[in-house]
Amino acid sequence: MVTDTGGIDDRSFNASSYQGLKDAAASDPAIVPSYVPSTTESDYTPNINSLVQKGCGIIVTVGFLMGDATQAAAKANPNQKFAIVDYNYSPPLPNVLGLIFNTAQAGFLGGYLAAGMTKTGTVATFGGQKLPTVTVYMDGFYDGVQYYNSQHGKHVKVLGWNEATQNGTFTGDFTDQSKGKSDTLAFIQQGADIIFPVAGNVGLGAAAAAQQNGNGVHLLWVDTDGCVSAPQYCSLFYSSVVKGISVAVAKAATDAAKGSFTGGNYVGTLANNGVGLAPYAKDVPQSLQTELATVKQGIISGSIKVASPSAPASS
Amino acid sequence: MTAATLIPTGRRTVDRQLAAGVTLALLGVMDLALFGLAGHTGTAKFGMSLAGASVHVPDLSLPARGTPIVAGAISIVLGALRIRLDLSPALRRTTMGAAIGLFLVSFLCWAAAGQTLSLVGLLQSTATRSIPIVLGALAGCLCERAGVINIAIEGQLLLGAFVAAVAASATGNLWVGLLTGSLAGGLLAAMLAAFAIAFVVDQVVLGVVLNVFASGLTGYLYDRILVTYQRTLNQPPVFRNWKVPVLGDIPIIGPVFFDSNVFLYLTYGALFLVQAFLFHTRWGLRVRAVGEHPVAAETVGIRVLATRYRNVILGGLVAGLGGAYLTIGSVGAFGKDISSGKGYIALAALIFGRWTPLGAVGAALVFGFADALQNVLSILGTPIPSDVLLMLPYAATILVVAGLVGKVRAPAADGRPYVKS
Repeated sequence: MVTDTGGIDDRSFNASSYQGLKDAAASDPAIVPSYVPSTTESDYTPNINSLVQKGCGIIVTVGFLMGDATQAAAKANPNQKFAIVDYNYSPPLPNVLGLIFNTAQAGFLGGYLAAGMTKTGTVATFGGQKLPTVTVYMDGFYDGVQYYNSQHGKHVKVLGWNEATQNGTFTGDFTDQSKGKSDTLAFIQQGADIIFPVAGNVGLGAAAAAQQNGNGVHLLWVDTDGCVSAPQYCSLFYSSVVKGISVAVAKAATDAAKGSFTGGNYVGTLANNGVGLAPYAKDVPQSLQTELATVKQGIISGSIKVASPSAPASS
Repeated sequence: MTAATLIPTGRRTVDRQLAAGVTLALLGVMDLALFGLAGHTGTAKFGMSLAGASVHVPDLSLPARGTPIVAGAISIVLGALRIRLDLSPALRRTTMGAAIGLFLVSFLCWAAAGQTLSLVGLLQSTATRSIPIVLGALAGCLCERAGVINIAIEGQLLLGAFVAAVAASATGNLWVGLLTGSLAGGLLAAMLAAFAIAFVVDQVVLGVVLNVFASGLTGYLYDRILVTYQRTLNQPPVFRNWKVPVLGDIPIIGPVFFDSNVFLYLTYGALFLVQAFLFHTRWGLRVRAVGEHPVAAETVGIRVLATRYRNVILGGLVAGLGGAYLTIGSVGAFGKDISSGKGYIALAALIFGRWTPLGAVGAALVFGFADALQNVLSILGTPIPSDVLLMLPYAATILVVAGLVGKVRAPAADGRPYVKS
């Protein structure tokens, strides 16, 4: 595996991808995971080439920034198998599997959950930067709240994102945690009691704000199960909107080892458990959990439509 | 200084009078047309107290359309007065300040039409957002008044944040974190001082290098150590808010100034001390002499190099405190590049504030307010795109400060190494 510049321990997609390889190795002893870190973007191509020389069964590259380098290496070495996280090619390459995720579907469930749990009738979301991989969560969240409103005749308000205008609240980067905290306090002052930060580590600032405020403000964590990646704040999370990078990577590695690998695109959805919600906190009532299961089935069967301009087309 | 520079020529006065008057009138026209006539009907409500306040002040309701129209009319009248009359400098500044204030009120009425905007929340957020910037700017003030340019504020904040988080987690004692965070800033400043003063390295280049060094070092240690030992080394407690008795219960002012954690109070203290020492003590006079004319200072027996060393390190201690705020005063855990450019904003605040502590605080507050405002605007769902809103703090700082401050002059020997001949 070649990491992005975030490094192997980024508690985000690099760590999740490597976890996937380790999981695959645990179930199939023939798989031996290893990685090369990239410190700058100019490391991508030499790193990939060094792994090609090594004769790896499958090379996993992480992040859309590595899209071009992976494509070049895949074309130069048609017999080498690749998988790339958060990127896809059209037309697809025969020896590359693009792993992308329709997180709008999981965000939808998050929005429904938040709308069902709020006491003030106001929930909020904010992003780090306005990128499609961020706003796709926010679109889903927004839609989920609207769906809850239409089902229950409620008027739960979403602060921080408007799907129609594609405009909302962003902190501007993925590092400034104190801004995440200030912004979240502002949301709380405007009445929100459930916050869904889509901003990586900046979300830790949101958790600090919720903890300081104390008045029953809760969060939904993003990408990974918050109770695992930020355990100190576990009591604040109703659940997490999860993107199953490790599951997808593990499957790609296992398939490559078994010889059943095919190139193309994999889209993580609710149907294939590529995206979803982490286990609920115990405050989430059983009735709401049952409703969420129904909604999930509705999305899978297609009777509930989740539309987002940033969502990947299904394969 | 010659008489010509002191007494402006008649032509120049008329030009300035006209330009300023037109600016005021233009602001008025914008209030009137953009936010008033083209604005929304209804009322804009401004929350005057926070939930759970002991003394509840009722919300302030203003007509969303009428207020900008009235404000615009006043600004236009002020603009006309400014063109016709030769006002005293104090009055000139007052009219400009009033027009900017009225513009802000009109803008807020437009943005909050039909909704409630927590004004106290906005001001409280301004104060907390400004803390690291104010401390960074004070650090810069201490250094640059003694003639050493400090670009490394960013690095000092970052290292302070890192060390404070680790020390407070490891010992479980917040005060240890605060102290070591401050010392870490001082350590980086000592490196700056040694290279700049003893080895006469170009100070701008040096500052940038130190920032990259701090970012690389903390980033590496974060990846290698803090991620693995997150529970023991990167989960510090956070200073709780301490409401000042009596003062903290005053409506509006209380929650903004007297209901925060120790860092806000330390910021007041640092501000007061730096201002008082630099401008009202013999020590401050010597520092300023070293920063303006080191040769003259040396001839009257001031130890130039020692003064510079001391001030640079003192500045580092203050910046380290600002860094400690980012972790143990605000969010708890350290994250890569958590300072996110605040050190550079502090540097800008220092320059816009004419290298004075009070001026720097003013500029930092403008930035903090604009930052808090853009956040509230995005929450209220104004149609302004988020990218433009994120630009607002920077644009507002430049505009307001350029409009009110005018020409600034750095200490004469700022950035010039002193080598005894």
